[in-house]
Amino acid sequence: MLAPALLVLGGLFLSALGLTFLRSLRYMPAIGLTEPDLAAYAAILSSPDFLAALGLSLWIALASTLISAALALGTALLLRRGFAGRGPLFFLIQVNLTVPHVVGAIGILYLFSQSGFFARLAHAGGLIDRPAEFPALTHDPFAIGIILLYVWKEVPFITLILLARLQAIGTDPEATARSLGATRWQAFAHVLLPMLMPALLAASALVFAFAFGAYEIPLLLGAHAPRALPVLAWQGFTDVDLAARAEAMAMAVIIALVGAAMLLACARLALPAAARDAR
Amino acid sequence: MLRSLALLLCLAAPALAEPADDALKAMTWDQILAEARGDSVTWFMWGGSDQINRYVSDHVAGILARDHGITLNRVGISDAVEAVNIVLVEKEAGITTGGAVDLIWINGENFRSMKQAGLAFCSYTDLLPNNALVNWDNPAIANDFGVPVDGCQVPWNTVQFAFAHDSAVVADPPRSMPALLAWIKANPGRFTYPAPPDFTGSAFVRHVFVHAAGGPEALLGPFDQARFDAVAARTWAILNEIEPHLWRQGRTYPTTIMQLNELFANGEVDFTFNYDPSQFGLAVQAGLYPETVRSFGLTDGTLANTNYTLIPFNAPNKAAAMVVQNLLLSGEEQLHKARPEVWGASPAIELSRTAPEVQAGFAALTGHPSVVPAAELARAALPELQADWLTAIEAGWLAEVGR
Amino acid sequence: MRAEPLRLALAAALALWLAMPLIPLAIWSFAHGWRFPALLPGELTLDAWTYALSPASGVLESLGVTIFIGLAVTLLAALVGVPAGRALGLHQFRGRGLVLMLLLAPVILPGIAVALGLHGVFLRLGLTGTVTGVILAHLIPVLPYMTLVMAAVFAGFDTGAEEQARALGARPAQVLWHVTLPAILPGLMTGALFAFLVSWSQYLLTLSIGGGRVQTLPLVLFTFATSGRNDVTGAVAMIYILPGLLILALTTRRLTGRSPVLGPGIGPGTDR
Repeated sequence: MLAPALLVLGGLFLSALGLTFLRSLRYMPAIGLTEPDLAAYAAILSSPDFLAALGLSLWIALASTLISAALALGTALLLRRGFAGRGPLFFLIQVNLTVPHVVGAIGILYLFSQSGFFARLAHAGGLIDRPAEFPALTHDPFAIGIILLYVWKEVPFITLILLARLQAIGTDPEATARSLGATRWQAFAHVLLPMLMPALLAASALVFAFAFGAYEIPLLLGAHAPRALPVLAWQGFTDVDLAARAEAMAMAVIIALVGAAMLLACARLALPAAARDAR
Repeated sequence: MLRSLALLLCLAAPALAEPADDALKAMTWDQILAEARGDSVTWFMWGGSDQINRYVSDHVAGILARDHGITLNRVGISDAVEAVNIVLVEKEAGITTGGAVDLIWINGENFRSMKQAGLAFCSYTDLLPNNALVNWDNPAIANDFGVPVDGCQVPWNTVQFAFAHDSAVVADPPRSMPALLAWIKANPGRFTYPAPPDFTGSAFVRHVFVHAAGGPEALLGPFDQARFDAVAARTWAILNEIEPHLWRQGRTYPTTIMQLNELFANGEVDFTFNYDPSQFGLAVQAGLYPETVRSFGLTDGTLANTNYTLIPFNAPNKAAAMVVQNLLLSGEEQLHKARPEVWGASPAIELSRTAPEVQAGFAALTGHPSVVPAAELARAALPELQADWLTAIEAGWLAEVGR
Repeated sequence: MRAEPLRLALAAALALWLAMPLIPLAIWSFAHGWRFPALLPGELTLDAWTYALSPASGVLESLGVTIFIGLAVTLLAALVGVPAGRALGLHQFRGRGLVLMLLLAPVILPGIAVALGLHGVFLRLGLTGTVTGVILAHLIPVLPYMTLVMAAVFAGFDTGAEEQARALGARPAQVLWHVTLPAILPGLMTGALFAFLVSWSQYLLTLSIGGGRVQTLPLVLFTFATSGRNDVTGAVAMIYILPGLLILALTTRRLTGRSPVLGPGIGPGTDR
């Protein structure tokens, strides 16, 4: 029963990854390259463009994940108990989940660019005269616009995961702690938070992998240089020069490795929970 | 008996599907029209202008469907190199018939890539009746960035690089390259250009390059490393000198001409430019630019070139694609797309060879006020450099200026 | 309660933040030029919508293509994912952890690593530039979602009812139709929702496999977004988010108000 699914995934997914890996080793028998070598990897590891791109992508992923995780924790705690307005907020969170990243990115661009909505508000308020006086939040070297978009999209995602976990945990553990004399803060920090950690970390691993490897958002919101790693990789992939294509494959392999690291982290955290649920 | 019949059928099948290139070139035009009827043409072209898209998808496609029974599928791409890559990868994979692309809107480096790699369908343009309207003696048309066309593509538009400004903001713009460079230094943060290899940004850098060479004469002809190095050194010096005076202090450049247009539209910079000045008129009509936008050329000349349509070697519907090319070349279509409300594009055919009504139509055209007339630009035209110079200039910019 | 106004204020701020990026898109779609420093467009027009909904823009055609691909992928994922989810959810077996890793991998590993290699694989198979190829490509990120959701559903599934039905003489097909399917339907709807949305928002995979010939809505949106026509971009963006909202509205009501997203409590978010 499991077989068809494994066949599909194995066939498509693993063969695709495998070919990426092979090509990164410059193994292309169709045009006579039958000796795999690490030339592509050597080339990119000594290329300042690649190192800058890697650094930028790591920065984007780290910043987005940390900010999203923190805000999502707060949001989950906020939404834990019922209050007027909880319903509409839930609805907006679900709407956010259905909106694709590209749309959000375009929206962020229209809001935060130097001639965007907030810049115009600043102008209306007499704070600036010209677009250049508004801080550069999009197409900027710190990828602020990109991080804003990831935060916008991932906070609802992590929040919902945390809320599900909170539902499963219930209020008993904290109540027990309080009855034993703990303050609200102690009950949260020493009882609830550790119970939430696995889910929070697993969700953060997912977000990190996504923020690291996404292509279309840095393309829309990123500066010309340095480029995010997936953008650099795609550029190389569509280059007419064969050497550039092998290097692009090597970059894709590195992106996959970072993703795999997150996969392992997520598996260590989430699989025990999944195994528990299955029994 | 059955097996040999099956084998025969198998061998005949490709021939039944689409006539081989030689058979196609031996046909008369009427036979080609008949062959094309019922076929579809997948045309890969730059999709960034909805007016051009409308012209092709509504007007041209309508005529093709009505008069020739041809279905036109327009595929919008950001850069012709995407279509080149599709055909290149197909050739590498051994797909020599039934490729994905029937027609490409193309010129310059991309044409050279295709011609050199044997990706273009060639030596057929004499079959097109409207080919007689093209003045192939004009070197600007017979050569695409210095590469002889050799019957591998059909002209569509002529363009000449022009600058645009908002006359309400900059009343008296600099009209020569030295004046422009001085203006940039005097007005920090008000100018920028898209980073090569963006097509238009690359063209701007070439204007500076020609200026640094003291004129195009020394740069015509095949690539010369020594001459390039001398001129390049001066070019990078100029561009690095103005860099701190650019938008965002030159720490980043717009990635595409579209981003530059956006900056211009919102007043973040005071100038934009384009190979096709009709784009300025179209943008004003769409409300993107203010109506006070005006355009101009440079007294020391701006680059002029022709763009073309090309049929790939493995196109599945070559006959139909040829019909499309013939239609685009016709006097009526060249006139229609020259109307400012449709596009405003300059014709690639010799007007004196067209019908009297077409000539009258052209004479009666009033251009959009924001678009500098082609005749005025043509008074100071620079020829395009050969493609090798382009690649060297782009690589040099990325290494010396773009960091 | 002291905290209540603070809670309300935070909730309001959050709501505003969630809705904010969508607002300029909507406004742009009705604007005839909207330049700095205007806070609202000076002139309103339906031109962008007329163009977006006309055949010349290719938007409606790509909408059809994207919906077709989404439905096809969802159907395939359901056919393959439901039995796989059952196996995963109901049975403990050796290598279960490994299977879970294989299922999680396409979800977590960034698409670009797969897209570059898949292009080469499909080129050999002649699937590049075809809708079939794109459907198969989308299956890679979609199938894990479906399988994992169904695994969670089956984890809480009581096989007792099935056994009873079989004991009463029902044929396997009847058991499936009358007992199993109704029980797993809410979870299946959730899985289908996720599956459709994941396919709906695929960009790079479609770009590399579709080879320019398969134009889905996100590709068209991207072309407009990078071509400076913000008004058309706004209109296309509105069209693009509409089906997701519709699905959300329909499934929420079907599940009697409870969020389908909160249902199984497992599974990462939607479009990756």
